[in-house]
Amino acid sequence: MDISDILRDLDHHAEDPFAAHEEDYSPSQPSGEADLQSLTRAWINERGTTELLPWPQDNLIDRISTRIKSQVERIEQLTGDMDPTTNFTLIILQTELERWKFLTRSYLRARLSKIDKHTLFYLSTPEGRAKISELEIQYATRRQGLLHSHFLDSFLAAFPERLRDLNDTAGGISMIEGPDEEGAVFVRGLGSREEGEREDGVVVKGRGRDGDAEWEVGRGEVVVARWADVKGLVDKGELELV
Amino acid sequence: MALPLPQGLTPLEVAFVCEMEMVTVIPRQQLKSQDLIAGPTPGLRPPHRASLPLWFALLLKRQRRANILPPPWLLPSSLEKILRHETEISPDTFSPPPPHPHPISTRPAATDHLAPPFLPSSTADAPPGYLPYHWLELGDILLEACSDDIPDADRVRTLLRDLREVRMAKMRASANDLEGGGVSSFKGVGAMEIAEGRQFIVGVMDGLRKLGASREVARREREEDEGGGAGGANSDDEEMEME
Repeated sequence: MDISDILRDLDHHAEDPFAAHEEDYSPSQPSGEADLQSLTRAWINERGTTELLPWPQDNLIDRISTRIKSQVERIEQLTGDMDPTTNFTLIILQTELERWKFLTRSYLRARLSKIDKHTLFYLSTPEGRAKISELEIQYATRRQGLLHSHFLDSFLAAFPERLRDLNDTAGGISMIEGPDEEGAVFVRGLGSREEGEREDGVVVKGRGRDGDAEWEVGRGEVVVARWADVKGLVDKGELELV
Repeated sequence: MALPLPQGLTPLEVAFVCEMEMVTVIPRQQLKSQDLIAGPTPGLRPPHRASLPLWFALLLKRQRRANILPPPWLLPSSLEKILRHETEISPDTFSPPPPHPHPISTRPAATDHLAPPFLPSSTADAPPGYLPYHWLELGDILLEACSDDIPDADRVRTLLRDLREVRMAKMRASANDLEGGGVSSFKGVGAMEIAEGRQFIVGVMDGLRKLGASREVARREREEDEGGGAGGANSDDEEMEME
């Protein structure tokens, strides 16, 4: 599987709720405000669970980098003609710019830390690869390569050939560890996105020790549940992590 | 490079998110519209009110270029009402969050799936009597930055502290209802309260889940044997947990 396959795959499964949401209401490029909302939601979602979430499908991050770049250029121009009246304007523009930069950086770094923790898990399955961007795949591949050659140099080379693998599944136990999908998360209801169903509530089925529960989460209501039970609804954009 | 933070927003990050909330300002100086990345801001002309994100309003306030109009829920009369609700009317659950400002209509709208901090829950026309999602941070920031704009600021400070204590006790008590699975509602909870309680609640949930894992597997197997239907004896427990 190479990069172009992955990209095609991505296009195929383009299921980003925010992208679809934007297309419905503004056929042209999403506004800066909409991008801010999408980025904030993506960031909070990513920070809210231990599993890596899908990379935003509508070029959100590329678009935001372009926006940040052009704003930096504008600020540089304004600092060029240091006119005292533009001073306060500069403070405002720079404050906002720093906020965008912080959001983007924190978002990307949160993803990197998850990729670092379970590199092989995300690299070795098509579902895992579908979640990471092209750059992230390059990063993860190189990181894993470095790690492997370091292990080889330091101790693996001393082992017999057949014990050197890092992705051994012998004995029914895989060496590749993934994130805990059953971990508890806080989620907020955003309202149903079902076609034709104009309702507030989203039904969450939560598996429990002594019984399974069903709970209709209203718009704005915050609940705690297992990540595996709400994952699908977060993907659909009917719930968001908080 | 990678972010060394645990799952969930830290209090500082929650405060950062809170600064995206819209507030109402009364400008004291003219300021033309600014071309921000998030779109143009409204031009400011005294004495016309304008809605701005909190971080922007704080910049203006610090330079004495504007006053911030406190949201109606932050007034002493509103806070007293909420406190009464928290202590007398519903001593076990949080007071309800404000109603969604954009009700679901028959036609899909861009505002249908908006959530805090992008809802106008702290502008001058927000409804009084409800604590919005970012109440604690917003109250704190406003008391710190513009206590001169808030009528009876000392009373507001005391009321916020009382509310915080009442609700902290509820947050702790909520752990009694956790079962390690299912769905537990925290309707009306605030962002900062989640940030504070997350480690504890997630810890309790995960711990209970691991302790009960074998029991859960056994139950599932039994139910499969019985033909898939959930056991009638268990439904009582479920309801208890959801209240």
